[in-house]
Amino acid sequence: MKALAIALRSQALLWQQWPKIGGHLVVGLTLALVTLPQAVAFSVTLAGVPPHFGIYAAIWGVLFCAMLNPSPVFHGGPNTAMSAAIGVILLPTAAPFGAEYMGLALTLGLMCGLIQLLFWLIRPLGRMLDLISEPVINGMICGIGLFLIFRSLTTFGGLPANTEVEWPLWIAWHSFLAILEVGNLHAIGIGLITLVTCAVLQQFERLRNWAILIGIAAGTLYSQYLSARLGLENTLIEQIGNLSSIRPISPSVPAFTQDALPDIIAIVPGAVTLALLGLFQTVAAMRRMSRKAGGFTDSRKAIFADAVSNCLLPFVSSLPTCASFNRMWLVHKLGIHSRITIAASAVLLLLLVLFFARAIAIIPMPAMAAVIMLLGANMLNWEDIRPHFKNRRETVVFLGSFLSVLFLDLFSAVLVGSALAIAYSKWEQVNPNVSLRGNVLKIKGNIYYGSLPAIEAIYHDAVTRVGDLIVDFSECYYIDPEGVRWLAAAKASRKVGFVDRRSGQNRRSVVLTASERRRRDRRRQSEF
Amino acid sequence: MPKLPGKLFRVTVLLVAFGSLYLVALHKHAEREEIRKAAVALTPGCTEKLGRYGLTPGEQYESPYVAQRAAVRTVARGYSEEDVRAVQRGCNIVDDSQGTLASEPWRERWNAKRFIRGSHASCDHCHRGIGDLQDASGNRLPGSNSLAASWTMGDMYDRFTGLLLPYELRQMQCYINSSNGFKPNLADDVIRDVTAYSRFLSGALDLKIANHYEEQGIDEIPASATLKQGDDYIRGEALYKDKCQGCHGLQGLGLELNGQLIAPAVAGPNAWNLQSRNNFYFVSTILAGFICRNMPPGQENTLQHQDCRDVAFYISNLPRPAGDRQGPIAALQQQLFMAVMPPLLRLSGSSKAPPPPLEHASASTPEKVRVENAE
Repeated sequence: MKALAIALRSQALLWQQWPKIGGHLVVGLTLALVTLPQAVAFSVTLAGVPPHFGIYAAIWGVLFCAMLNPSPVFHGGPNTAMSAAIGVILLPTAAPFGAEYMGLALTLGLMCGLIQLLFWLIRPLGRMLDLISEPVINGMICGIGLFLIFRSLTTFGGLPANTEVEWPLWIAWHSFLAILEVGNLHAIGIGLITLVTCAVLQQFERLRNWAILIGIAAGTLYSQYLSARLGLENTLIEQIGNLSSIRPISPSVPAFTQDALPDIIAIVPGAVTLALLGLFQTVAAMRRMSRKAGGFTDSRKAIFADAVSNCLLPFVSSLPTCASFNRMWLVHKLGIHSRITIAASAVLLLLLVLFFARAIAIIPMPAMAAVIMLLGANMLNWEDIRPHFKNRRETVVFLGSFLSVLFLDLFSAVLVGSALAIAYSKWEQVNPNVSLRGNVLKIKGNIYYGSLPAIEAIYHDAVTRVGDLIVDFSECYYIDPEGVRWLAAAKASRKVGFVDRRSGQNRRSVVLTASERRRRDRRRQSEF
Repeated sequence: MPKLPGKLFRVTVLLVAFGSLYLVALHKHAEREEIRKAAVALTPGCTEKLGRYGLTPGEQYESPYVAQRAAVRTVARGYSEEDVRAVQRGCNIVDDSQGTLASEPWRERWNAKRFIRGSHASCDHCHRGIGDLQDASGNRLPGSNSLAASWTMGDMYDRFTGLLLPYELRQMQCYINSSNGFKPNLADDVIRDVTAYSRFLSGALDLKIANHYEEQGIDEIPASATLKQGDDYIRGEALYKDKCQGCHGLQGLGLELNGQLIAPAVAGPNAWNLQSRNNFYFVSTILAGFICRNMPPGQENTLQHQDCRDVAFYISNLPRPAGDRQGPIAALQQQLFMAVMPPLLRLSGSSKAPPPPLEHASASTPEKVRVENAE
């Protein structure tokens, strides 16, 4: 009886909680289905390793991050830029897809994790990553959005991928023309059906979370219809393919043999780049998406999660992980911010690969490309970037970062954007607002070695023109030792008086000149 | 509900936009299909070459070249009308990639020019003799970059990267490096037709698949094939001015007369880029081999090995575009060089005294070469 009561109670609880659980499952399934083609494509076309490397990253990478990273919007897993970097770093060392290459790929991942661990252990190093401003992140997001659309064009049109790496805008234009002229019309049809279904359903609040799943289902149904009518050998539609060889876990050991040592030493700089590439994206994406979701997660925790995950993943045949802008955007758009959903997506992907490999195998790649294009388009959100165009400096930083993604790469975009943002903030610091009103020289900003020349120029001019000059540095928020020495020297010269109201209590602390002191004494005497 | 018109509007815009794109794609596909079915106007070179090899549609194909030279009848499966047109278009593309001989280049050359930067590069410049160079007696020449011999190797491991490159991807390397352009899509007719032409050539010459023939690639000249005196820029410059400048120009920018290309650029914006294997700094043996084999026209095989390496060394130092993978900074730097160097060199070249005659002994031939300045 007791068991029956417990069963009934849990059934009632399940029934009550079903909308919530169902929501988690739908979003998790959507995330799993969106991650799957990315995992396959990134590992095969970018990193030069078999598809299971990407799939394990999409399962174990996501799961480790969900367990270690407290952010409810963080979605790890395979990443475009990191996968591409692995391919570029390892190309001179061994032939892609070979045993030696795969061993080195795992070693590279492990070294990346260890370097990231250093960023967690040495706190100032980790803090350096916080120097990525919001316009930089938004510029990157928009750039990545466009990049995703461009990258998916050839798959959308059923064409082989263009392997050219530079000039993405030209490649995108050529790919677009190739779709129009020689693209597979069946593939284009499937892609358009998926795209239109998703885009239309997204307009309706109730169907928003289902839009991608229904879109993929519509594309798959149309593809199956075409295959039944014309035959797959005539439609030539690329499908996800057989993943039945995937097991829940595939233990592996990174290559650390004596023979591989020269290659391992050669890829150390690459490992540093890879580690930074991952951390920059993780910190930037997490900060941006947490802010959008109205929360906050310490970036050190994200660094720790990435570092530990990347130290573990090479032992389960997986690519390294870092934040994925597009999937985090999807998590935010779908409106369920929860680590349970993220973990559910990894578990669901594992279950799909284990038990529904045949069903997944027939999903057409053009439909998946259409979904990725839609994600890219969703990342170009005018509401988010509009504020940056109200301030010239933010506009420049945003455009610098955005264009760098398109013309250089993600890592360069971070560097260019951050360099611009730091340069602007430095420029502001070295040019404090110094104004002379009457005999009061007011300094707003910093008094430090960089700004002193600018202050001195106006100060000396004021000293010669105005008698009994008073320097008001109440609105100075930082004075370095060189600034203190300069102030002491100015005071010692006895030509000026100082005003400092920085205590915040409207207390006046005045250092008077000799003439002011005499005038004050006379006033006091008369009052007396 | 007040949001419904907005949503309807958005949905309509989406449907119209995607529908229009699909219609444009249908139209473009129909246009391509029409071109594939249209008769092909051959260039004079292709008329001669394909005529000599007896390319006609039919059930069986018998190569007149093989019949004449080997006195053996080789009967192979014939070509359909569609195949013949593909071979003809491929030949046209190799002979005249820029479409200067075509009335409608974009139709007749499948927009090959879209994938080439500059107005000079053409497949035939490296793959001489429309990809099948022969001497006056019809002997195929070793190291002549033959497309037929290249096709018989099928998929080939790239000797520098170790990657397996199908014939189509090898064509793409030509487009991005030798033509300093862009990769066409693998499925593009511009790639497929050149493959069809190469395959036809190998059939017409009775070359067997997977065999290595001497005509494939260039007979390269490594430093070991010389007296190992070291490659000399100054000697290369003097030789260039003596032997090459007359056609390729002082700056290597090529020669055009009345809109006709007389000699292609070996430097500057119309030339191959820094990542091309013609670039001496990338692969030092290929350009030297090409020069010895093919240059100067009419005096082929007269230059000594060291001379060719010196000229190649000199040419590769002239400014040229950066490669695809070298990034925008290198691209900007090379564009700057290409803009600044020609006027500077013109100034310095006009005031410079002619270099002294050089004396040099090479490994291949002992006679001395006198170089006179053409200035």
